[in-house]
Amino acid sequence: MLGWLTDPFASPILQRALVELLILSLACGPLGVWVLLYRNAYAAESISHGMLPGLVVAALAGAPLLLGAVAGVLVAAAGIALVARDQRLGADVGVAVCVSTLFGLGGMLALSPQSPPRLGELLFGDPLGVSGGDLAVAGALAGGVVVALLAGHRSLALVGFDRAAAPSLGARPLRWELALLVVLAVTTVAAVQGLGNLLLVALVLAPAAAALNLARRLAAVLALSVALAALAGAAGLVLSFHLEIAAGASIALCAVVVALLALLVPAGRLTH
Amino acid sequence: MSAGGVSVRGLAGAYVPGRDALRDVSFAAGAGEIVGVLGPNGGGKTTLFRALLGELPIRRGAVELAGRPAYVPQTERARLDFPVSAFDVVLMGAYARTAWFRRVAARDRAAAQAALDRVGLPDSATASFGALSGGQRQRVLIARALLQDAPVLLLDEPLSGVDSVSAARIEALFAELRQEGRTLLVATHDVRQAGEWDRVLCLNGRQVDYGRPAAVLSPETLRETYGGDLIVLEGGGRAIGVGHHGHAH
Amino acid sequence: MLDLSAPYIQRALLEMLLLAVPAGLLGSWIVLRRLAFFAHAVGTASFPGLVLASAWGIAPPLAALATALGFGVAQERLERSGRMGADAATGLLLVGCLAAGVVLASDVFESGAEVDTLLFGSLIGLTAGDVWLTAAVVAGVVALEAGLRRHWLGTGFEPAGARALGLRPVAADRLLLAGIAATAVVALDSVGALLVTVVLVVPAATARLLTSRLAPLQLVAMLLAAVEGVAAVWLADALNVGAGPAMAVLGGGVFAAVAGATALRARAVPA
Repeated sequence: MLGWLTDPFASPILQRALVELLILSLACGPLGVWVLLYRNAYAAESISHGMLPGLVVAALAGAPLLLGAVAGVLVAAAGIALVARDQRLGADVGVAVCVSTLFGLGGMLALSPQSPPRLGELLFGDPLGVSGGDLAVAGALAGGVVVALLAGHRSLALVGFDRAAAPSLGARPLRWELALLVVLAVTTVAAVQGLGNLLLVALVLAPAAAALNLARRLAAVLALSVALAALAGAAGLVLSFHLEIAAGASIALCAVVVALLALLVPAGRLTH
Repeated sequence: MSAGGVSVRGLAGAYVPGRDALRDVSFAAGAGEIVGVLGPNGGGKTTLFRALLGELPIRRGAVELAGRPAYVPQTERARLDFPVSAFDVVLMGAYARTAWFRRVAARDRAAAQAALDRVGLPDSATASFGALSGGQRQRVLIARALLQDAPVLLLDEPLSGVDSVSAARIEALFAELRQEGRTLLVATHDVRQAGEWDRVLCLNGRQVDYGRPAAVLSPETLRETYGGDLIVLEGGGRAIGVGHHGHAH
Repeated sequence: MLDLSAPYIQRALLEMLLLAVPAGLLGSWIVLRRLAFFAHAVGTASFPGLVLASAWGIAPPLAALATALGFGVAQERLERSGRMGADAATGLLLVGCLAAGVVLASDVFESGAEVDTLLFGSLIGLTAGDVWLTAAVVAGVVALEAGLRRHWLGTGFEPAGARALGLRPVAADRLLLAGIAATAVVALDSVGALLVTVVLVVPAATARLLTSRLAPLQLVAMLLAAVEGVAAVWLADALNVGAGPAMAVLGGGVFAAVAGATALRARAVPA
């Protein structure tokens, strides 16, 4: 039995993939909790599409692609926050308008009716293609996200729990809503090359959804979310190895299953 | 500037430039006074509070406050599915004075428990906020405001839809806070209640009247404040304001 | 200049004009009832249905529709359980559907070409059958709107009170989601999964900046969608780009212009 679990990790490729997933769980777990508490799941799923025009412009201008990608998602984040300010529309409409416009712009700039370059990778990534350099990037990203979310923890809690009273308690809502979108945007750029958008979204949303159903207080939710993300990552790799299916999809499915299973557990916290 | 309280002169403010949400507001309340703020929904009560908190662009006029006010918004604005206990919520009152890299001081933690005791919820510290009743949640939010130790408190309909035990405790608390020299502005739909406090401010997009209840709470003023949404019971001039809350406690 | 005698252009224009109807009718509900994520996800989530259709030889639109409707049902169930927010449910289901699709597709699709068509659509590749299907769905949407409008209006504002008025919120809401699902599926062919919101959300969002009353909102959204759609076909043909991206840029540009103008107009009023 134990062999079944450990066999996959005999190969260095899968070892590195596991390490990368464990590192990224540190970032995706807590980020996902805040994304769900702020009802930003749509932004998490779509913001990567905002990279497209940035990538194309960078490629055309001969600038580093990373710069273009970062610029693209930051523009997307700012646009979403701007539209979300209008109470008649809200954040979801903001995502729809900004991301579709940016994505369409990228599609037009690429000046071809076929898909723009690297789109398949953007969407469906390949965690098994991880290199040592990628691990370093993942480590830096995870560290940055953890620090940022820890530093902003109280303000995020104030705004997320009671937006109306937050200013009187010391936190301006628009600032922190934008800050969360920015952290989400940066995480997306750094992680999407290795994981692909599908897997990234799964690791951000699913473990957090499960943790919110299982734990009662914020600190426990955040910690549990990291643990469940790591679990989904490991389980997904094992299944991918034995069933010979794509690693990214396998991990994503494990994460979703974990979230659905958590629904079966009677409410860890009392609901109204 | 008086030693405590609120002073507003000629205030006008707007969410959208060109369309005033509130205008011609001038009143002053000193330390140890409770002001009932009356008016229909959309008439400016919440707008006034936001102006006092510095969140509404002020187009004209001046606001002077003894210190940053504590704000207790209507209960349903807070999220019931947020993973916090009652104690966690009360402790939020101390966040503004705690640096982000420090733990919240033990003194503030003790004060948070004391605040819960004071609102009559000594054993509810670990209860999930969302699992509490409407009246209990309202009291927790008031406890949070107590922890802020602010000289001015703004309360938005703290008694609407609240069970009688909670209401009694809240009203007793108001008396204590008045004794402590704090200034309370309480938005309410209950005209009878407002009549028992120190002053009444009637708002309907603009200031209709301000002063002692006996002088302000006349049928004419109330009619002007509420428009048609008013039921007046004759005999002693008592009136009941009718507002549509959409609350469900 | 646009060659109006070319059949593919005629079909493209007809498709865009047909889609303008649900863009106005349903798009307004999407904006008012905060269903933008659902509208985006339900189209994208039909991916596994299309994979299976390709493998089993079922007509793709039917498979896509079945998957989309299944998505709607699952979404509604999860939401009603009260244990998960609406957007969390949508996100999870979307990821699950895409992951399932990837697993199924690894044996079915060798290249990413079909995937790309799914994502971006191909207005030029529309068949007459596609347009007929769109027309059928649009007719259905019009019927739903006529029959259920007052239900949707009632439940939008006060679900508890709606039942007291004799309305049936759950059934009516399900049909709204079904209508959105069906429209997303037929829009996939022309604009692609990732740009369904360009048709269903952006024109209505623009109209929302101008009015808050339902009938004018729907009318303005419909007109905007029609004009933007036709212009997109012309632009796509002239610049040799996809119609979806073209409409996205037009729609976004119009939205930004209206947002800027309405904000500026308010400021121009003397203090």
